[in-house]
Amino acid sequence: MIIITVLGVAFLLLSIGVVLFNQLRKANIRVDEAFAQIDVQLKRRADLIPNLIETVKGYAAHEKTTLEQVTEARTSTMKATTFDEKMSSDNMLTGALRGLLAVSENYPDLKASANFLQLQEELSTTENKIAFSRQYYNDAVLLLNTKIKTIPSSFFAGVAGVKERVFYVTDDASRTRPDVKF
Amino acid sequence: MEFRSEIASNQRKSIFLLFSLFLLLIGIIYLVGLYLGVSSYTILPFALLFSIITTISSYWSSDKLVLMITKARVITEDEGGPLYNIVSEMAIAAGIPMPKVAIVEDSAPNAFATGRDPDHAIIAFTTGILAKMDREQLQGVAAHEMSHIKNRDTLVATVAAVTAGAIALIADLISRVFLYTGGTKNSKGNPFAMVALVIVIFLAPIGAILLRSSISRKREALADSSAVAITRNPTGLRRALETLRDDSTVVQAKSNAVAHLWVESPIDKRNSRWHPFDTHPPIQDRIDKLQAME
Repeated sequence: MIIITVLGVAFLLLSIGVVLFNQLRKANIRVDEAFAQIDVQLKRRADLIPNLIETVKGYAAHEKTTLEQVTEARTSTMKATTFDEKMSSDNMLTGALRGLLAVSENYPDLKASANFLQLQEELSTTENKIAFSRQYYNDAVLLLNTKIKTIPSSFFAGVAGVKERVFYVTDDASRTRPDVKF
Repeated sequence: MEFRSEIASNQRKSIFLLFSLFLLLIGIIYLVGLYLGVSSYTILPFALLFSIITTISSYWSSDKLVLMITKARVITEDEGGPLYNIVSEMAIAAGIPMPKVAIVEDSAPNAFATGRDPDHAIIAFTTGILAKMDREQLQGVAAHEMSHIKNRDTLVATVAAVTAGAIALIADLISRVFLYTGGTKNSKGNPFAMVALVIVIFLAPIGAILLRSSISRKREALADSSAVAITRNPTGLRRALETLRDDSTVVQAKSNAVAHLWVESPIDKRNSRWHPFDTHPPIQDRIDKLQAME
Protein backbone atom coordinates (compact mmCIF):
# COMPACT_ATOMS: atom_id res chain seq x y z
CA MET A 1 0.00 0.00 0.00
CA ILE A 2 2.79 2.40 0.97
CA ILE A 3 4.74 1.46 -2.13
CA ILE A 4 1.77 2.26 -4.35
CA THR A 5 1.31 5.67 -2.73
CA VAL A 6 5.00 6.48 -3.08
CA LEU A 7 5.01 5.41 -6.71
CA GLY A 8 1.85 7.41 -7.33
CA VAL A 9 3.32 10.56 -5.82
CA ALA A 10 6.59 10.07 -7.69
CA PHE A 11 4.68 9.68 -10.96
CA LEU A 12 2.68 12.84 -10.25
CA LEU A 13 5.81 14.84 -9.51
CA LEU A 14 7.50 13.52 -12.62
CA SER A 15 4.51 14.50 -14.77
CA ILE A 16 4.46 17.99 -13.33
CA GLY A 17 8.19 18.24 -13.99
CA VAL A 18 7.78 17.20 -17.60
CA VAL A 19 4.99 19.72 -18.14
CA LEU A 20 7.00 22.58 -16.65
CA PHE A 21 10.15 21.56 -18.54
CA ASN A 22 8.24 21.59 -21.83
CA GLN A 23 6.59 24.90 -21.03
CA LEU A 24 10.01 26.48 -20.50
CA ARG A 25 11.37 25.01 -23.73
CA LYS A 26 8.28 26.13 -25.70
CA ALA A 27 8.50 29.63 -24.25
CA ASN A 28 12.14 29.78 -25.30
CA ILE A 29 11.37 28.65 -28.85
CA ARG A 30 8.63 31.26 -29.04
CA VAL A 31 11.18 33.94 -28.23
CA ASP A 32 13.46 32.68 -31.05
CA GLU A 33 10.52 32.62 -33.46
CA ALA A 34 9.48 36.11 -32.46
CA PHE A 35 12.98 37.42 -33.05
CA ALA A 36 13.10 35.80 -36.47
CA GLN A 37 9.77 37.47 -37.27
CA ILE A 38 11.29 40.89 -36.53
CA ASP A 39 14.03 40.09 -39.03
CA VAL A 40 11.45 39.17 -41.68
CA GLN A 41 9.76 42.55 -41.32
CA LEU A 42 13.07 44.43 -41.28
CA LYS A 43 14.07 42.71 -44.51
CA ARG A 44 10.74 43.68 -46.08
CA ARG A 45 11.42 47.28 -45.20
CA ALA A 46 14.97 47.11 -46.53
CA ASP A 47 13.62 45.73 -49.83
CA LEU A 48 11.13 48.60 -50.16
CA ILE A 49 13.78 51.29 -49.77
CA PRO A 50 15.55 51.30 -53.17
CA ASN A 51 12.16 51.78 -54.85
CA LEU A 52 11.35 54.60 -52.44
CA ILE A 53 14.66 56.33 -53.07
CA GLU A 54 14.22 56.18 -56.85
CA THR A 55 10.69 57.61 -56.62
CA VAL A 56 11.77 60.48 -54.36
CA LYS A 57 14.86 61.22 -56.50
CA GLY A 58 12.56 61.70 -59.47
CA TYR A 59 10.88 64.66 -57.80
CA ALA A 60 13.32 65.90 -55.15
CA ALA A 61 16.83 65.45 -56.52
CA HIS A 62 18.30 68.24 -54.35
CA GLU A 63 17.53 66.37 -51.14
CA LYS A 64 20.80 64.50 -51.61
CA THR A 65 21.87 64.41 -47.95
CA THR A 66 18.55 63.01 -46.72
CA LEU A 67 18.59 60.34 -49.44
CA GLU A 68 22.19 59.44 -48.65
CA GLN A 69 21.41 59.09 -44.94
CA VAL A 70 18.72 56.57 -45.77
CA THR A 71 21.02 54.56 -48.05
CA GLU A 72 23.81 54.54 -45.46
CA ALA A 73 21.44 53.47 -42.68
CA ARG A 74 20.10 50.70 -44.88
CA THR A 75 23.61 49.40 -45.65
CA SER A 76 24.49 49.31 -41.96
CA THR A 77 21.39 47.22 -41.16
CA MET A 78 22.44 44.71 -43.79
CA LYS A 79 25.94 44.50 -42.29
CA ALA A 80 24.76 44.16 -38.65
CA THR A 81 25.37 40.78 -37.03
CA THR A 82 25.06 40.98 -33.24
CA PHE A 83 21.78 41.64 -31.41
CA ASP A 84 22.97 45.10 -30.29
CA GLU A 85 24.20 46.03 -33.78
CA LYS A 86 20.86 44.99 -35.24
CA MET A 87 18.90 47.00 -32.69
CA SER A 88 20.90 50.20 -33.11
CA SER A 89 21.19 50.09 -36.92
CA ASP A 90 17.47 49.38 -37.16
CA ASN A 91 16.68 52.39 -34.97
CA MET A 92 18.95 54.55 -37.17
CA LEU A 93 17.10 53.47 -40.31
CA THR A 94 13.73 54.22 -38.70
CA GLY A 95 14.98 57.73 -37.96
CA ALA A 96 16.44 58.29 -41.42
CA LEU A 97 13.21 57.12 -43.10
CA ARG A 98 11.17 59.43 -40.93
CA GLY A 99 13.42 62.29 -42.05
CA LEU A 100 12.92 61.39 -45.70
CA LEU A 101 9.15 61.19 -45.41
CA ALA A 102 9.08 64.53 -43.57
CA VAL A 103 11.09 66.14 -46.36
CA SER A 104 8.67 64.74 -48.97
CA GLU A 105 5.97 66.90 -47.44
CA ASN A 106 7.53 69.85 -49.28
CA TYR A 107 7.01 68.33 -52.74
CA PRO A 108 3.29 68.28 -53.67
CA ASP A 109 3.95 66.53 -57.00
CA LEU A 110 5.74 63.72 -55.21
CA LYS A 111 3.00 63.46 -52.60
CA ALA A 112 0.33 63.12 -55.28
CA SER A 113 2.02 60.44 -57.39
CA ALA A 114 0.28 57.06 -57.23
CA ASN A 115 3.60 55.27 -56.94
CA PHE A 116 4.59 57.28 -53.89
CA LEU A 117 1.20 56.84 -52.24
CA GLN A 118 1.37 53.07 -52.63
CA LEU A 119 4.94 53.03 -51.32
CA GLN A 120 3.84 55.13 -48.36
CA GLU A 121 1.11 52.66 -47.46
CA GLU A 122 3.58 49.76 -47.84
CA LEU A 123 6.19 51.53 -45.72
CA SER A 124 3.62 52.54 -43.13
CA THR A 125 2.26 49.03 -42.74
CA THR A 126 5.81 47.61 -42.65
CA GLU A 127 6.78 50.05 -39.89
CA ASN A 128 3.67 48.96 -37.97
CA LYS A 129 4.57 45.32 -38.51
CA ILE A 130 8.10 45.96 -37.26
CA ALA A 131 6.70 47.66 -34.17
CA PHE A 132 4.20 44.88 -33.52
CA SER A 133 6.73 42.11 -34.08
CA ARG A 134 9.00 43.82 -31.55
CA GLN A 135 6.04 44.06 -29.18
CA TYR A 136 5.29 40.36 -29.65
CA TYR A 137 8.97 39.55 -29.11
CA ASN A 138 8.92 41.50 -25.84
CA ASP A 139 5.70 39.71 -24.81
CA ALA A 140 7.40 36.36 -25.49
CA VAL A 141 10.49 37.42 -23.51
CA LEU A 142 8.30 38.60 -20.62
CA LEU A 143 6.53 35.24 -20.52
CA LEU A 144 9.81 33.29 -20.60
CA ASN A 145 11.55 35.43 -17.99
CA THR A 146 8.53 35.24 -15.71
CA LYS A 147 8.50 31.44 -15.95
CA ILE A 148 12.24 31.27 -15.28
CA LYS A 149 11.93 33.45 -12.18
CA THR A 150 8.76 32.08 -10.56
CA ILE A 151 8.15 28.87 -8.64
CA PRO A 152 7.65 26.04 -9.54
CA SER A 153 8.95 26.40 -13.11
CA SER A 154 12.11 28.07 -11.77
CA PHE A 155 13.25 24.69 -10.44
CA PHE A 156 13.45 23.31 -13.95
CA ALA A 157 15.05 26.24 -15.73
CA GLY A 158 18.55 24.85 -15.23
CA VAL A 159 17.58 21.36 -16.38
CA ALA A 160 15.79 22.76 -19.42
CA GLY A 161 18.82 24.86 -20.29
CA VAL A 162 16.88 28.11 -20.74
CA LYS A 163 18.21 31.48 -19.73
CA GLU A 164 16.58 34.86 -19.35
CA ARG A 165 16.46 36.88 -22.57
CA VAL A 166 16.89 40.56 -23.31
CA PHE A 167 14.03 42.90 -24.19
CA TYR A 168 14.10 44.78 -27.50
CA VAL A 169 14.50 48.48 -26.75
CA THR A 170 13.76 51.30 -29.18
CA ASP A 171 15.08 54.80 -28.73
CA ASP A 172 12.38 56.65 -30.65
CA ALA A 173 9.80 58.79 -28.88
CA SER A 174 6.97 56.27 -29.13
CA ARG A 175 8.63 53.38 -27.32
CA THR A 176 6.77 51.63 -24.52
CA ARG A 177 8.51 49.89 -21.65
CA PRO A 178 6.91 46.49 -20.91
CA ASP A 179 5.54 46.92 -17.42
CA VAL A 180 6.44 43.88 -15.39
CA LYS A 181 3.61 43.19 -12.93
CA PHE A 182 3.86 39.93 -11.03
CA MET B 1 -8.53 48.56 -14.45
CA GLU B 2 -5.39 47.57 -16.27
CA PHE B 3 -5.85 45.25 -19.23
CA ARG B 4 -3.87 42.30 -17.88
CA SER B 5 -6.00 42.03 -14.73
CA GLU B 6 -9.15 42.45 -16.88
CA ILE B 7 -8.02 39.54 -19.03
CA ALA B 8 -7.30 37.31 -16.03
CA SER B 9 -10.64 38.19 -14.41
CA ASN B 10 -12.64 37.46 -17.58
CA GLN B 11 -10.83 34.14 -18.09
CA ARG B 12 -11.61 33.08 -14.52
CA LYS B 13 -15.25 34.09 -14.78
CA SER B 14 -15.86 32.30 -18.08
CA ILE B 15 -14.20 29.11 -16.81
CA PHE B 16 -16.36 29.30 -13.68
CA LEU B 17 -19.50 29.70 -15.82
CA LEU B 18 -18.58 26.79 -18.11
CA PHE B 19 -17.97 24.67 -15.04
CA SER B 20 -21.40 25.69 -13.69
CA LEU B 21 -22.95 24.55 -16.95
CA PHE B 22 -21.30 21.13 -16.58
CA LEU B 23 -22.51 20.97 -12.99
CA LEU B 24 -26.03 21.74 -14.20
CA LEU B 25 -25.78 18.82 -16.62
CA ILE B 26 -24.52 16.48 -13.90
CA GLY B 27 -27.22 17.78 -11.55
CA ILE B 28 -29.94 17.09 -14.08
CA ILE B 29 -28.67 13.54 -14.61
CA TYR B 30 -28.70 12.99 -10.87
CA LEU B 31 -32.27 14.27 -10.53
CA VAL B 32 -33.41 12.11 -13.44
CA GLY B 33 -31.80 9.18 -11.68
CA LEU B 34 -33.76 10.00 -8.53
CA TYR B 35 -37.00 10.19 -10.46
CA LEU B 36 -36.61 7.24 -12.78
CA GLY B 37 -34.16 5.06 -10.92
CA VAL B 38 -30.41 4.79 -11.10
CA SER B 39 -30.34 2.85 -14.38
CA SER B 40 -31.32 6.06 -16.19
CA TYR B 41 -27.74 7.36 -15.71
CA THR B 42 -26.99 5.64 -18.99
CA ILE B 43 -28.87 8.52 -20.61
CA LEU B 44 -25.87 10.80 -20.17
CA PRO B 45 -23.46 9.40 -22.77
CA PHE B 46 -26.23 9.15 -25.37
CA ALA B 47 -27.48 12.68 -24.74
CA LEU B 48 -23.96 14.05 -24.99
CA LEU B 49 -23.18 12.01 -28.10
CA PHE B 50 -26.32 13.16 -29.88
CA SER B 51 -25.66 16.76 -28.88
CA ILE B 52 -22.06 16.53 -30.10
CA ILE B 53 -23.05 14.99 -33.44
CA THR B 54 -25.55 17.73 -34.17
CA THR B 55 -23.08 20.46 -33.24
CA ILE B 56 -19.75 19.12 -34.50
CA SER B 57 -20.23 19.74 -38.21
CA SER B 58 -21.08 23.40 -37.74
CA TYR B 59 -18.08 23.79 -35.42
CA TRP B 60 -15.71 22.00 -37.80
CA SER B 61 -16.70 23.99 -40.87
CA SER B 62 -17.65 27.20 -39.14
CA ASP B 63 -15.42 29.28 -41.40
CA LYS B 64 -16.96 27.92 -44.63
CA LEU B 65 -20.51 27.90 -43.22
CA VAL B 66 -20.38 31.50 -42.14
CA LEU B 67 -18.98 32.55 -45.51
CA MET B 68 -22.03 30.97 -47.12
CA ILE B 69 -24.59 32.42 -44.70
CA THR B 70 -23.25 35.96 -44.95
CA LYS B 71 -22.20 35.76 -48.62
CA ALA B 72 -18.80 37.19 -47.71
CA ARG B 73 -16.08 37.73 -50.34
CA VAL B 74 -12.55 36.68 -49.43
CA ILE B 75 -9.68 39.13 -50.11
CA THR B 76 -6.57 37.43 -51.50
CA GLU B 77 -3.01 38.26 -50.47
CA ASP B 78 -2.31 39.57 -53.97
CA GLU B 79 -5.22 42.01 -53.71
CA GLY B 80 -3.86 43.29 -50.42
CA GLY B 81 -4.93 46.81 -49.56
CA PRO B 82 -5.17 48.72 -46.25
CA LEU B 83 -7.70 46.29 -44.69
CA TYR B 84 -5.52 43.27 -45.42
CA ASN B 85 -2.53 45.17 -44.01
CA ILE B 86 -4.39 46.06 -40.81
CA VAL B 87 -5.36 42.43 -40.24
CA SER B 88 -1.82 41.16 -40.93
CA GLU B 89 -0.41 43.72 -38.48
CA MET B 90 -2.79 42.41 -35.82
CA ALA B 91 -1.91 38.78 -36.61
CA ILE B 92 1.76 39.59 -35.98
CA ALA B 93 1.01 41.39 -32.74
CA ALA B 94 -1.21 38.52 -31.55
CA GLY B 95 1.26 35.86 -32.64
CA ILE B 96 -1.24 33.76 -34.60
CA PRO B 97 -1.26 32.75 -38.29
CA MET B 98 -2.86 35.16 -40.76
CA PRO B 99 -6.61 34.40 -40.98
CA LYS B 100 -8.69 34.73 -44.16
CA VAL B 101 -10.02 38.27 -44.62
CA ALA B 102 -13.46 38.81 -46.14
CA ILE B 103 -15.90 41.61 -46.89
CA VAL B 104 -19.70 41.37 -46.44
CA GLU B 105 -21.97 43.60 -48.49
CA ASP B 106 -24.03 45.31 -45.80
CA SER B 107 -24.43 49.00 -45.00
CA ALA B 108 -24.64 48.31 -41.26
CA PRO B 109 -21.23 48.62 -39.60
CA ASN B 110 -20.13 45.35 -38.00
CA ALA B 111 -17.45 42.66 -38.09
CA PHE B 112 -17.07 39.04 -37.03
CA ALA B 113 -14.52 36.25 -36.64
CA THR B 114 -14.91 32.48 -36.60
CA GLY B 115 -13.05 29.25 -37.24
CA ARG B 116 -12.39 25.99 -35.43
CA ASP B 117 -8.82 26.98 -34.54
CA PRO B 118 -6.32 29.75 -35.40
CA ASP B 119 -5.19 27.81 -38.50
CA HIS B 120 -8.68 27.76 -40.02
CA ALA B 121 -9.93 31.19 -39.07
CA ILE B 122 -11.69 33.98 -40.93
CA ILE B 123 -12.37 37.63 -40.12
CA ALA B 124 -15.00 39.59 -42.02
CA PHE B 125 -15.94 43.28 -42.16
CA THR B 126 -19.11 44.79 -43.62
CA THR B 127 -18.83 47.44 -46.32
CA GLY B 128 -20.67 49.62 -43.80
CA ILE B 129 -17.92 49.47 -41.19
CA LEU B 130 -15.22 50.12 -43.79
CA ALA B 131 -17.05 53.27 -44.85
CA LYS B 132 -17.65 54.61 -41.34
CA MET B 133 -14.36 53.98 -39.54
CA ASP B 134 -10.78 55.22 -39.82
CA ARG B 135 -7.60 53.14 -39.55
CA GLU B 136 -7.27 53.46 -35.77
CA GLN B 137 -10.85 52.27 -35.20
CA LEU B 138 -10.57 49.42 -37.70
CA GLN B 139 -7.34 48.34 -36.03
CA GLY B 140 -9.21 48.15 -32.70
CA VAL B 141 -12.03 46.12 -34.26
CA ALA B 142 -9.55 43.81 -36.02
CA ALA B 143 -7.74 43.31 -32.69
CA HIS B 144 -11.05 42.42 -30.97
CA GLU B 145 -11.85 39.86 -33.67
CA MET B 146 -8.29 38.50 -33.64
CA SER B 147 -8.71 37.96 -29.88
CA HIS B 148 -11.79 35.79 -30.45
CA ILE B 149 -9.63 33.57 -32.66
CA LYS B 150 -6.67 33.56 -30.29
CA ASN B 151 -8.86 32.80 -27.26
CA ARG B 152 -10.63 30.01 -29.18
CA ASP B 153 -14.05 31.44 -28.52
CA THR B 154 -15.64 29.30 -31.24
CA LEU B 155 -14.55 26.22 -29.28
CA VAL B 156 -15.80 27.66 -25.99
CA ALA B 157 -19.16 28.53 -27.53
CA THR B 158 -19.44 25.05 -29.03
CA VAL B 159 -18.64 23.30 -25.74
CA ALA B 160 -21.29 25.46 -24.07
CA ALA B 161 -23.76 24.70 -26.85
CA VAL B 162 -23.12 20.93 -26.64
CA THR B 163 -23.62 20.93 -22.87
CA ALA B 164 -26.75 23.06 -23.04
CA GLY B 165 -28.01 20.86 -25.87
CA ALA B 166 -27.57 17.74 -23.76
CA ILE B 167 -29.42 19.42 -20.87
CA ALA B 168 -32.30 20.40 -23.15
CA LEU B 169 -32.45 16.88 -24.56
CA ILE B 170 -32.64 15.24 -21.15
CA ALA B 171 -35.25 17.70 -19.90
CA ASP B 172 -37.26 17.00 -23.02
CA LEU B 173 -37.05 13.23 -22.48
CA ILE B 174 -38.16 13.57 -18.87
CA SER B 175 -41.09 15.77 -19.79
CA ARG B 176 -42.24 13.12 -22.25
CA VAL B 177 -41.92 10.37 -19.65
CA PHE B 178 -43.86 12.51 -17.21
CA LEU B 179 -46.65 13.17 -19.70
CA TYR B 180 -47.00 9.57 -20.88
CA THR B 181 -46.95 8.03 -17.42
CA GLY B 182 -49.18 10.72 -15.92
CA GLY B 183 -46.57 11.44 -13.29
CA THR B 184 -47.14 8.18 -11.43
CA LYS B 185 -43.99 6.44 -12.67
CA ASN B 186 -42.10 6.66 -9.41
CA SER B 187 -44.41 6.29 -6.45
CA LYS B 188 -41.77 5.76 -3.78
CA GLY B 189 -40.76 8.78 -1.77
CA ASN B 190 -42.47 12.07 -1.07
CA PRO B 191 -44.82 13.02 -3.95
CA PHE B 192 -44.20 16.74 -3.39
CA ALA B 193 -40.46 16.20 -3.66
CA MET B 194 -41.07 14.34 -6.92
CA VAL B 195 -43.08 17.24 -8.29
CA ALA B 196 -40.39 19.69 -7.24
CA LEU B 197 -37.81 17.47 -8.96
CA VAL B 198 -39.76 17.52 -12.16
CA ILE B 199 -40.22 21.30 -12.07
CA VAL B 200 -36.46 21.74 -11.66
CA ILE B 201 -35.85 19.43 -14.59
CA PHE B 202 -38.18 21.56 -16.72
CA LEU B 203 -36.40 24.75 -15.63
CA ALA B 204 -32.92 23.42 -16.35
CA PRO B 205 -32.90 24.34 -20.05
CA ILE B 206 -33.67 27.97 -19.17
CA GLY B 207 -30.80 27.93 -16.70
CA ALA B 208 -28.61 26.54 -19.45
CA ILE B 209 -29.52 29.38 -21.81
CA LEU B 210 -28.84 31.96 -19.11
CA LEU B 211 -25.44 30.39 -18.45
CA ARG B 212 -24.64 30.31 -22.16
CA SER B 213 -25.52 33.99 -22.53
CA SER B 214 -23.42 34.81 -19.50
CA ILE B 215 -20.45 32.91 -20.96
CA SER B 216 -20.87 34.76 -24.25
CA ARG B 217 -20.83 38.13 -22.47
CA LYS B 218 -17.67 37.25 -20.54
CA ARG B 219 -15.89 36.12 -23.71
CA GLU B 220 -16.85 39.40 -25.38
CA ALA B 221 -15.42 41.35 -22.44
CA LEU B 222 -12.31 39.16 -22.68
CA ALA B 223 -12.02 39.95 -26.39
CA ASP B 224 -12.16 43.68 -25.60
CA SER B 225 -9.37 43.50 -23.02
CA SER B 226 -7.29 41.10 -25.16
CA ALA B 227 -7.62 43.59 -28.02
CA VAL B 228 -5.96 46.21 -25.82
CA ALA B 229 -3.17 43.72 -25.05
CA ILE B 230 -2.61 43.37 -28.79
CA THR B 231 -2.71 47.03 -29.82
CA ARG B 232 -1.66 48.66 -26.51
CA ASN B 233 -4.12 51.35 -27.62
CA PRO B 234 -7.58 51.28 -26.00
CA THR B 235 -8.58 54.45 -27.89
CA GLY B 236 -9.05 52.72 -31.26
CA LEU B 237 -11.56 50.15 -30.05
CA ARG B 238 -13.26 52.65 -27.76
CA ARG B 239 -13.84 55.10 -30.62
CA ALA B 240 -15.05 52.22 -32.81
CA LEU B 241 -17.61 51.17 -30.17
CA GLU B 242 -18.76 54.78 -29.85
CA THR B 243 -19.41 54.94 -33.59
CA LEU B 244 -21.31 51.63 -33.37
CA ARG B 245 -23.32 52.86 -30.41
CA ASP B 246 -24.41 55.97 -32.28
CA ASP B 247 -25.33 54.08 -35.43
CA SER B 248 -28.76 52.48 -35.47
CA THR B 249 -28.60 50.27 -38.57
CA VAL B 250 -28.50 46.50 -38.05
CA VAL B 251 -26.89 43.78 -40.19
CA GLN B 252 -29.09 41.58 -42.37
CA ALA B 253 -27.62 38.22 -41.39
CA LYS B 254 -28.75 38.31 -37.79
CA SER B 255 -30.15 34.83 -37.20
CA ASN B 256 -29.54 33.40 -33.75
CA ALA B 257 -26.98 31.03 -35.16
CA VAL B 258 -24.53 33.81 -35.96
CA ALA B 259 -25.68 36.65 -33.70
CA HIS B 260 -23.01 36.03 -31.08
CA LEU B 261 -20.18 36.30 -33.59
CA TRP B 262 -20.60 39.96 -34.53
CA VAL B 263 -18.62 42.63 -32.65
CA GLU B 264 -21.88 44.44 -31.89
CA SER B 265 -24.89 42.22 -31.31
CA PRO B 266 -27.65 42.63 -33.90
CA ILE B 267 -30.27 41.05 -31.65
CA ASP B 268 -29.68 42.40 -28.13
CA LYS B 269 -32.37 44.93 -27.20
CA ARG B 270 -30.70 48.31 -27.00
CA ASN B 271 -32.24 50.33 -24.24
CA SER B 272 -33.63 47.78 -21.83
CA ARG B 273 -32.13 47.34 -18.35
CA TRP B 274 -32.76 43.58 -18.35
CA HIS B 275 -29.76 41.87 -19.89
CA PRO B 276 -29.63 38.18 -18.92
CA PHE B 277 -30.14 36.85 -22.45
CA ASP B 278 -27.82 39.31 -24.19
CA THR B 279 -24.83 37.86 -26.01
CA HIS B 280 -22.75 41.01 -25.52
CA PRO B 281 -22.23 43.30 -22.52
CA PRO B 282 -24.06 46.65 -22.82
CA ILE B 283 -22.12 48.79 -25.26
CA GLN B 284 -21.78 51.78 -22.93
CA ASP B 285 -20.23 49.53 -20.26
CA ARG B 286 -17.69 48.33 -22.82
CA ILE B 287 -16.87 51.93 -23.77
CA ASP B 288 -16.48 52.96 -20.13
CA LYS B 289 -14.15 50.02 -19.39
CA LEU B 290 -11.92 50.94 -22.32
CA GLN B 291 -11.96 54.61 -21.36
CA ALA B 292 -10.73 53.65 -17.89
CA MET B 293 -7.69 52.01 -19.50
CA GLU B 294 -6.68 55.08 -21.48
